Amino acid sequence: MTDKDHKCTCDEQPLVPTIVEVIDIIDRTPDIKSFFVRNADGSGLPFQVAPGQCSMVSLLPVGESMISCTWQEGQEYQEYAIKRVGLMTDELHRIEVGQKIGLRGPYGNGFPVDECKGKDMVFIAGGIGLAPLRSFIKYCFKNREDFGKITILYGSRSQADLCFKEELFDLWPKEPNTEVFVTIDNAEPEWDGHVGFVPAYLEELNPSSNNAVAVVCGPPIMIKFVLQSLEKMGYSDDQVITTLEMRMKCGIGKCGRCNIGNEFICLDGPVYYLRQLRDLPAEW
Amino acid sequence: MKVLDKDKIESFLNRLAEDADVFVPMQRGPQTGFYSWGTYDEDHDDLMLDILNVYIPPKNIMIPPHARMGENSNEPGDRIIFGIRSCDVRAIDLLDEVFLTQENEGRYYKEQRNKTILVASACYYPAPSCFCDSMGANPVEPASADVVIHDVGREGYVWESRSPKGAALTDTIADWLGEKEIIMPQIPHLSRGVDFEGVFARLLDYSDLPLWENYSEPCQTCAVCIYTCPTCNCFDLQAQTWRDQGYNFNCYETCMYRPQSLMKGLSNPRIAARERFRNRFLHKLQFFSERYGQPLCTGCGRCTVLCPAGIDIVKVITEIKEHQQPK
Repeated sequence: MTDKDHKCTCDEQPLVPTIVEVIDIIDRTPDIKSFFVRNADGSGLPFQVAPGQCSMVSLLPVGESMISCTWQEGQEYQEYAIKRVGLMTDELHRIEVGQKIGLRGPYGNGFPVDECKGKDMVFIAGGIGLAPLRSFIKYCFKNREDFGKITILYGSRSQADLCFKEELFDLWPKEPNTEVFVTIDNAEPEWDGHVGFVPAYLEELNPSSNNAVAVVCGPPIMIKFVLQSLEKMGYSDDQVITTLEMRMKCGIGKCGRCNIGNEFICLDGPVYYLRQLRDLPAEW
Repeated sequence: MKVLDKDKIESFLNRLAEDADVFVPMQRGPQTGFYSWGTYDEDHDDLMLDILNVYIPPKNIMIPPHARMGENSNEPGDRIIFGIRSCDVRAIDLLDEVFLTQENEGRYYKEQRNKTILVASACYYPAPSCFCDSMGANPVEPASADVVIHDVGREGYVWESRSPKGAALTDTIADWLGEKEIIMPQIPHLSRGVDFEGVFARLLDYSDLPLWENYSEPCQTCAVCIYTCPTCNCFDLQAQTWRDQGYNFNCYETCMYRPQSLMKGLSNPRIAARERFRNRFLHKLQFFSERYGQPLCTGCGRCTVLCPAGIDIVKVITEIKEHQQPK
């Protein structure tokens, strides 16, 4: 984590959310929406977030969910890309601009951005898994000279399910020394791009493992096969980073449900090198 | 030695209750637990200072089963837990490890803890299920108690103050204590024991032991072991609205129930009872030790006594050790 002296609400009352206002909502796909939030009184942000960190988004009285946050220095709002999957997110998808929601955080360790400096980056994402990586990708582009070649591989089920299309097709490919590859699972009439699953496409592209770091996020089944592919391609356990998901409630390593082994994902994670995961029970 | 007369114990508790909220072990209906002396009802409650382990552990006093968060609902004044046993004192030490050390100490817990005075009762006649000395507690010398009372039969209770808090309490009730020479009873020998030394280092290699399969099979995941465990401290957060205000509540949670780790899309890393069972024991014996340097078990024996399937934590520990030994 880069920013140790962050401003957050966790000192006094760690579990009490700050009230923020939703200032904009964008439909990314039929079931993914981006929510843009800032302090309810218009005075900027409740806290700063490093790439890969999460916040607890709460909607009373439905509940809270741990959501990956996208924010960059200088922005006056935070973005949360949220997929409609369950009770809380379903309710969240019904709110309108101007609604006030609760927010607390930031939680987790975030991506090891400093350790990745000077290396080639390979980002591999599936579905909503692009959301946590996006903050890291944006960080790389903002500090472009610190990183080598950037390869982004993104896959989704169908064309309609591709999220962040503007960035994938217009903005990111224009960045220097950057390649973006997009694939969908099944062929569609109006799609002239690649068709196939992410792990197979990854092996086809075969980005060099020399001085590279692969960052993986997506559905568990995709992660499983991508990790196998990366191993085949010569990536060591120190060159693979992934971000885990567990059910979380408190965010501060006290409530005791998001543990995998002795690690609390909310506190010590969610970002891990594959090497660290090898020591843990196979629950991830 | 300072001695408290047994006949006067009820009026003594009345005296303590003038300055503080006093929790004493009582039988109330079918349940035994620490209840406030102020709520004592002669017709329905029995004061049970001799009972070893009440079913409901004193963690209920430190962490309420259901509490609103972010608001200080503490009542003013001290709280005295009277007659708490050595294993439960140690359990409170372990709760302190969780809520008062490392990042994000619990403010509510800290306030509760600071005004709690522990008057512990030494165990000279431990139960057959007790194994506290194997888990680092001493039955007659509760490490962090403020006062220890020793039951010496007809002579009364020997009152021994052990901390500044305890000394202050002793000063306020000094006129209740007589001065007598007492021959202290022998230090008890616990019939049960388990050699915990080195277990968690072994667990690292044996997290997939067949014993998880064998022991979890009869487990009904009823979670009685969790609710009666004096150290189990996992909690859940729930949100509710009342009028135009929203509130967060925290309440007990158990790793024995499936929803604890259920995620969106119905994926659950610990879906089988076996996996939850393993996580519970590994949390107690290994994960907690790795994080805080001591196991999350005090040897009170409640889970062993109350488990409807007869699962015994001592046997689990012993079996882990046996697996290591060459045959």
